[in-house]
Amino acid sequence: MFDLLIRYIRQGRITLNRDRFTQLATYHDPCNYGRRAEKIFGQGFFEEPRWIMDQCLTHWVELYPDRRHQFCCGGGGGALTNGYNEERIFYGRRKMDQIKATGAEMLVVPCHSCHGQLNNIKATYGLPKLTVKYLWELVADCLVLSEA
Amino acid sequence: MTILQNPVSFESLDPGRSRAWPCDQDLCLTCANCSGACPVAGIDDFDPRKIVRMVSMGMADHVASERWPWICTMCGKCEQVCPMGIAIPDMMRRIRSLRARDQIPGILQSGLENALRTGNNLALPKEDFVFILEDVGAEIAEEQGFETFTVPIDKEGANILTTIHNKLVNTHTEDLKHWWKIFHAAGEDWTVAADNWEGTSWGYFTGDDEAMKTMAGRIVENMRRLKARTLLWPE
Repeated sequence: MFDLLIRYIRQGRITLNRDRFTQLATYHDPCNYGRRAEKIFGQGFFEEPRWIMDQCLTHWVELYPDRRHQFCCGGGGGALTNGYNEERIFYGRRKMDQIKATGAEMLVVPCHSCHGQLNNIKATYGLPKLTVKYLWELVADCLVLSEA
Repeated sequence: MTILQNPVSFESLDPGRSRAWPCDQDLCLTCANCSGACPVAGIDDFDPRKIVRMVSMGMADHVASERWPWICTMCGKCEQVCPMGIAIPDMMRRIRSLRARDQIPGILQSGLENALRTGNNLALPKEDFVFILEDVGAEIAEEQGFETFTVPIDKEGANILTTIHNKLVNTHTEDLKHWWKIFHAAGEDWTVAADNWEGTSWGYFTGDDEAMKTMAGRIVENMRRLKARTLLWPE
């Protein structure tokens, strides 16, 4: 998924407008693309999404801690579907603290579970206006179409 | 502290079975780094160390009846800090596998049974799926620059076959559009299968390896049937 987006951008098959978004953005590393992938497959996808973020945005900030040391959003492992909602919302408190600390208004994620969880809990933690965006949605939003 | 109130009867422990678990749980030094790293340590009076020790002592069936292994998201912060390399998230998944299938919490098992029976978690009929895809495709074609857009369903010989997350043909159809717009802009030759398009695999959550094999096998079969060269599986 990261590789495909990077290939489209590097080969010039898609062109992106880096001025499309002006609000401050940040990026969340999903456990399964990062820490877990590194453990299981020997490679975590940390730099690839960041390179893609750089092609879409002139400025964005990191969460702290990040990459393999990030906190889980609380939506993984089937948590969105097992009915333990109070515990799932509690789980996300550290992630929301991290996001708040950046002052970001837009959070980019490359994972369906993270996207669902963070959208679901953001109002509980006082960030109802936080935009949660898929990484590929960010790319789609920044597309510049050639007149062909 | 349930354990302290009801001391373990050593006659009931099963060291033979614990050896059969490949998670290295018997190497635990009881340092509790895992519990320090865990965002949900303490809920229900459980934490990763306690569960590792209970499995090591042959009490896996006891742990399997608890909520905690399902509240854990298998995020892996515990195993990252474990000095002995114990595969704690794998152990949680293995504990989940011990649950009777009709005792699995929430909608996980019903969704998985739908998927095994019909090819997707929603049991969405093929006609409805195709209708939704074509409807969303027609919406994209109304946008400037996408006038020629169509959804190439079951196209043979495409470069990319993509799976679909069931929520995108349920409550989040707008989110189908992002990848499709990128494909259009990139001039990609892509397709989506009309059958067995489900990208999620809830056997991962329920500890059901056979179900995961079935779901992955169907995607492989779609690749073969449609002679697609690359699989995009964003779920």
